[in-house]
Amino acid sequence: MLEIMAYGFMQRALLASVLIGILCSVIGVFVVLKGLSFIGAGTAHAAFAGVALAFLLGLNPMGMAVLFGLMTVWITGLLVEKGRMKLDVSIGIFYTSTMAMAILFIGFMKGYNAELYGYLFGSILSVTPSDLTVIAGLGLAVLVALFLFYKELLFIAFDQEMAEASGIPARSLFFLLISLIALTIVVSLKAVGAVLVYAMILIPAATAYQLTRSMKGMMIVSILFGVFSSVAGMFLSFIMDIPSGAAIVLLATALFFLSVLFSPKRRKPLWPVKAHKS
Amino acid sequence: MSKPIIQFSKASFGFPGRIALEEISLEIMEGEFIGIIGPNGSGKTTLLRALLGLIPPVSGQVQIFDCACEKLRCHHRARIGYLPQKDRVDPDFPVTVFEAVLMGRFSSIGLLRRPSRRDNEIARHALDEVGMADYADRSLGHLSGGQQQRIFIARALAQQPQVLLLDEPTTGVDMPTQQTILELIKKLHDTLRLTILLVTHDINMIVPFVNRLALLKTKLYAAAPPNEVLTKEILSQVYGTQIMVTEKGFVIVGDYHHA
Repeated sequence: MLEIMAYGFMQRALLASVLIGILCSVIGVFVVLKGLSFIGAGTAHAAFAGVALAFLLGLNPMGMAVLFGLMTVWITGLLVEKGRMKLDVSIGIFYTSTMAMAILFIGFMKGYNAELYGYLFGSILSVTPSDLTVIAGLGLAVLVALFLFYKELLFIAFDQEMAEASGIPARSLFFLLISLIALTIVVSLKAVGAVLVYAMILIPAATAYQLTRSMKGMMIVSILFGVFSSVAGMFLSFIMDIPSGAAIVLLATALFFLSVLFSPKRRKPLWPVKAHKS
Repeated sequence: MSKPIIQFSKASFGFPGRIALEEISLEIMEGEFIGIIGPNGSGKTTLLRALLGLIPPVSGQVQIFDCACEKLRCHHRARIGYLPQKDRVDPDFPVTVFEAVLMGRFSSIGLLRRPSRRDNEIARHALDEVGMADYADRSLGHLSGGQQQRIFIARALAQQPQVLLLDEPTTGVDMPTQQTILELIKKLHDTLRLTILLVTHDINMIVPFVNRLALLKTKLYAAAPPNEVLTKEILSQVYGTQIMVTEKGFVIVGDYHHA
């Protein structure tokens, strides 16, 4: 088992899965607490459209993914702030129209581009040294920002109105948070894929939500589940020769359902017993 | 009660075509306890949000601590404790009582810094002040509505405020609990010398506690001690003719249904 770690690609895959596991599960806590789950799903598809355009025009895929991802969350954030449109409606439109753009860009290309499809479905075992540099660089930047503004971000996740009233620059911090969500998605795109990256953010945090009663506890448990499922999923993918993104996400999902079954918050039985009238 | 701490000078709020508050002029002295009453949609919450600097006036001025509210700097904001009208916290939401109260310290601590031991002490003291010290490690969502209100009052106190703004602090809790919450607020007013503005729809319950009542319906109809405000002549301007004031000053509003 250990000898496979002698391969360079396995070392890179392990490093990438630890980094992405931490990053996604930390940002996921804020996403779950603040109820932003849908924003990420839309952003992942927008980022993929950026990658497709980059391939079409011969530009840097990561750069375009960052650009498309940030544009999406900022426009969504502004629409939410102005109250012009319901969040689910505006995201729904972004989600589908950016995907349509991606399909259009792919349609303009000649032939089949395997690398592009790698961004759609993800492949953690084919992370290159330069990919790893981007993942580590951007990932650490996001983690540092989260660390620096940790207490304020928790406050706005709990109660944005209160935070603003007490003098916290809540609006700026909200935009910081959604920008960090977009960057997290871009960082994870190559390894996990646009279709599944959102599960990596949502599921570990949602699992932790079931099991903890403090914000600090939720953060710790989310990181543990996130790192475990991405590392274990990566190894499963190698050993069983199955797609890595699917292995990671299905493993995380299995843990989630176990947490629902054993959650101390679900005191009611899953199969309610009919009360007999006496 | 010496100098004015809050001053509205002909201040209007809202936007063209839909004025929420019109030409409000009101001076509030340091240490006063003011009850703000009026029908639904009369601008009571707007008045509190204006003081927090969340809504700039369209005309006129509003000042707090010698500073225009819309220009409030962060450390000034921290001196105003605010209890928004609030639903119960989702029972599953993972936040402990202590975590929630400590948030009251965050704006004073400032960006990029961690809570110090002193911030922890202040938060614990605030919990003590509302009689909830034993609940520090409990899950906030599992507490009753009345207990949650006490925790939110503690969070406001953790800001070490001079002014406390309370928006319907007794809605959604049972009658005896309403009474204990008001008694707690009164105690805090007396011991901590806080200036308090309390929005409520329950006129009768608030009367024994306040120095003055401010009667709002877009305009300010009265701001005077309860016995001067609670007359049929004054109240009927706002609530219409369906109002009764009994000999003991008990007010019954006829066609008024609050949500």
